[in-house]
Amino acid sequence: MNGWLEPKYVGWLAHGFEMTLLLSACVIVSATLLGVALAMARNARNGFVTRIAALYVLVFRNSPLLVQLLFWYFGAATLLPQSWMEWLNTPHTLSLSTFTLAWPPFEFVAGWIGLTCYATTFVGEEFRAGMRGVKDGQYLAAAALGLAPFGTFRYVILPQAIRIATPPLAGQYMNIVKNSSLTMAIGLAELSYTSRQVDTETFKTFQAFGAATVLYIATIAAIEVGLILWKRRSAHAWQRGNA
Amino acid sequence: MSAIDWLPTLRYLLLGTFPNGPLGGAALTLVMSIVSTLLSALIGLAGGVALSMTRGAAHLVLTAVVGFFRAIPVLMLIFWTFFLMPMLLHIDVPGLATVVCALALIGGAYLSHSVQAGIAAVRAGQEQAALSLGLTRWQALRYVLLPQAVRIMTPSFVNQWVSLIKDTSLAYIVGVPEFTFLANQVNNRLMVYPVQIFLFVGLVYLLLCSVLQFFATRLLGGAQRRNKPDAQPHITRFSHVQSADS
Repeated sequence: MNGWLEPKYVGWLAHGFEMTLLLSACVIVSATLLGVALAMARNARNGFVTRIAALYVLVFRNSPLLVQLLFWYFGAATLLPQSWMEWLNTPHTLSLSTFTLAWPPFEFVAGWIGLTCYATTFVGEEFRAGMRGVKDGQYLAAAALGLAPFGTFRYVILPQAIRIATPPLAGQYMNIVKNSSLTMAIGLAELSYTSRQVDTETFKTFQAFGAATVLYIATIAAIEVGLILWKRRSAHAWQRGNA
Repeated sequence: MSAIDWLPTLRYLLLGTFPNGPLGGAALTLVMSIVSTLLSALIGLAGGVALSMTRGAAHLVLTAVVGFFRAIPVLMLIFWTFFLMPMLLHIDVPGLATVVCALALIGGAYLSHSVQAGIAAVRAGQEQAALSLGLTRWQALRYVLLPQAVRIMTPSFVNQWVSLIKDTSLAYIVGVPEFTFLANQVNNRLMVYPVQIFLFVGLVYLLLCSVLQFFATRLLGGAQRRNKPDAQPHITRFSHVQSADS
């Protein structure tokens, strides 16, 4: 139980942490974009669209993320045509002028899709709550100024909804970071996976899980600090009157 | 695969090897959910009351502990309890107990924040009124604040319980034979029906969560309706007693 981990294992953990951060960042971006779309769909005038969106939220919120990930990893693989799967499983590189972008392994893609589908429902509901928090007078005022529905949404409602929704959104982003640990079940070598691996190799259980736990807490704390900084900045902006 | 072969598989998924072996499958998921739900409610109530009754250093320590449990992934806590508890306590803890323990701790940490918020929401005037009636701080909490706070925080309890049901699937990682574990086992043996199996599993969880949500919300709605006409229940009960006497 004594002694710190050897550099090799620290390297493993660092690599896992990198993977966790990368996956979380990808999911946060895609879930935010799709979340806005979902919130718009749930507020749509078309009853059919609204109902489909509500059904999507019901299904993806009320089944475990782990089952969804297993479904995407095992199930989607059989649904896709054979040639697609071969293409997904072979490494590809996308060469841009300065750096090359390697196509991620299938575990990463499945994890990304699974986490995005799951997180979109939560992010979307936060956006919807934010839109509902915008006062009705704002819609009327925008209409009175002659803005079209899309213009109203883009220039009047969305900026205010984002401001209302930011604190709960930060909480959802924290959840995304924490939920990314579940992708170890489909074999993605992120932080939990590597800490488990280091544990089985070295039997230094305390150090392996301790390091991973500290890294998770640090990530969550970083998001929290970001939120506090944002709050302070927007409070200043309010005071200056140019918010 | 013929239709007859599906029945034992379905039975295995829902009950595990039950009559001949330990309980497993969806039934074990249900048991785990109920136990961890009750434990998390107890921890949450105790934690929330402690958070709102303490001041100074003790409050800071409590906040840090709750913050710790809220900041780490459930999976990480399961690792901690599963691999470290046997090492520290020098006893063989069954995997099932460690997972229930981890789920109860995480759920309790989230709920203690809701309980604290619920108490804070009814606090100001109600506590002063209770104290001026001569109740002690604990009596005020027990008879005045908590009954009102519980009503406010029921939605967050239901939310937390739904996510607890979903999180029981994480026991799969440490090999507890619950629903997801068995589904994965069956999937690995059959190899050809992953889509059907995982859709079915998702559907069962969806059903479990929806049933919980439905009944909890109905119960909550009922409680609110009963409490709406303020002093009426007492009067009706009183008249009922009178009529029974005469």
